[in-house]
Amino acid sequence: MSYSERDTVPLNQSSQSDIDEIENLINYTVQSGPATVLPARPPSPPRASIPVSSSPFLPSNLPPPPQKPPSVPAASPPPSTNGQQQSNMTGFGSPPNTLTEPVWDTVKRDLSRIVSNLKLVVIPNPFREDPGKALRDWDLWGPFFFIVFLGLILSWSASVKKSEVFAVAFALLATGAIILTLNVLLLGGHIIFFQSLSLLGYCLFPLDIGALICMLKDNVILKIVVVCLTLAWSSWAAYPFISMAVNPRRKALALYPVMLMYVSVGFLIIAID
Amino acid sequence: MDLNPSQGENYANPKICFFHVLFKAGALAFYILSALFFDSFVIIFVVTVLLSALDFWVVKNVSGRILVGLRWWNEIDDNGESVWKFECLDQESLARMNKKDSWLFWWTLYLTAVVWIFFGIFSLIRFQADYLLVVGVCLTLSIANIVGFTKCRKDAKKQIQQFASQTIANRFSSTIQSAFSVV
Repeated sequence: MSYSERDTVPLNQSSQSDIDEIENLINYTVQSGPATVLPARPPSPPRASIPVSSSPFLPSNLPPPPQKPPSVPAASPPPSTNGQQQSNMTGFGSPPNTLTEPVWDTVKRDLSRIVSNLKLVVIPNPFREDPGKALRDWDLWGPFFFIVFLGLILSWSASVKKSEVFAVAFALLATGAIILTLNVLLLGGHIIFFQSLSLLGYCLFPLDIGALICMLKDNVILKIVVVCLTLAWSSWAAYPFISMAVNPRRKALALYPVMLMYVSVGFLIIAID
Repeated sequence: MDLNPSQGENYANPKICFFHVLFKAGALAFYILSALFFDSFVIIFVVTVLLSALDFWVVKNVSGRILVGLRWWNEIDDNGESVWKFECLDQESLARMNKKDSWLFWWTLYLTAVVWIFFGIFSLIRFQADYLLVVGVCLTLSIANIVGFTKCRKDAKKQIQQFASQTIANRFSSTIQSAFSVV
C-alpha cells in the first residue's frame, strides 16, 4: 500500500521551514473561507495529556464544537446563516481543539448532544416550527439506546420466549426505521437518511416510558390508557418532521406507515404478558 | 503498509492502544465464549452490541485522533445537504506519529471486520438468524469506521501532495525571483 510512501517522505530542515511558512499562509488565507479538509495545528504541547475515560458510546458525527449551545442551529433562518458562518469560521479555528481535546470533553459533548436532541424532538419548543434545522445535529446513539431499552423491557415482560421477543423487537424497530426513511425519500421528500433514522428513534422515547410503566403495573386498563397516551405523544413528536419533509399532497402517505409502526409497537407493549 | 513496525520504537500511547484493542477483542471474545456460559440470547446480543458500539466510539473519537491524527464526521449544512467532513493533523504532527501506533490501528481495524465477516458466514451456514443479526450490527459498525478513516487518510494524502507541490512551486518562484533580481 502507499502507506509506506508516506512514512518515507523525508523532511529536511529547509523543507520543514517551507512547510511552516506555507501553513502560516494558508492559515491566514483560509480564514476567509472554510475548506472541507481542515489541516489542524495542535496547540503548543503537541500531544495533549489524555485522561482516558472509558464511557460508552456514540456513533459519532461530531461537528466542530459549537461555541454556543447546540440549539443554535435551530434558530430562525437569518440568524442561523450568520451563526453557521460563524461556526464555520470558529470551526476552522477550533479543529485543533477537536483533534486534541481530552477524551472527557468528547464524552460530555456527545452526551449533551443526545439530551438536546431528545428535548428538541419530544418536548414542545419553538424550534419545532422549523424541523429541518431542529435535528441538524443528528446522532444515532439516542435511538440505539432507546431501541435496545424497549427491546429489553419487552423481553423482560415476556414470560416465555424472551430471546425471540427481544430479537423481534429490535429487528422490527431497526428495519422499520430504515424502511420508513426510504419511504419518505421515495415519496420525493427532502430529508437526510440519518436525520430521519435519528428522528424516528428519538420519537420512540415516549413509548419507552409507556413500556416501563406497563411493565411495573400489570393492569390491562391502565396499560391501554398509558399506551394510548404515549402513542399520541410519539405521533405528535414525529408529525412535524415527517410532514414538513414531503409534498403536502403526500403527507398522509408518509405519515401513515410511521403511525402504523408506532401503533404496532403499542400493541406489542399491551399484549406482552 | 509496513508489515513489521520499526523495531526499537515503543508505542507512544500504550493506554490508548490498549483501549483500541480492548473493546474489539471484548466483543469478539464475548460473542465466542458466551454460548458456553449464557443461555439467554438477549444478554449475548446486548453485551456484544454494546461492546461493539463502545469500540466504534473509542476508535472514532479517541484512537483515530490520537494514534493516526485523523477524524471524520457528518454535518448538515444550511441547504439541508449532508456533508462528510474529514480532518487531519498538519504534516509535521502526522510525520511525528508513532509508526507502531498507526500500524496497530490499521491492522486491528481491518482484522476485526474480517473476523466478523467470518462469523457471519458461520452463522449463515447454521441458519441462526439471531446471531446473524448480532454479527450484522457489529459488522456495520466496523465497516463504518473503516470507510470513514480510509477516506480521511486519502484526503490527508491529497493534502500532503498539495503542500508538497506548493512548496516546490514556491521555492521555484522564489529562485526565479532571486535570479531576476540579481540580473
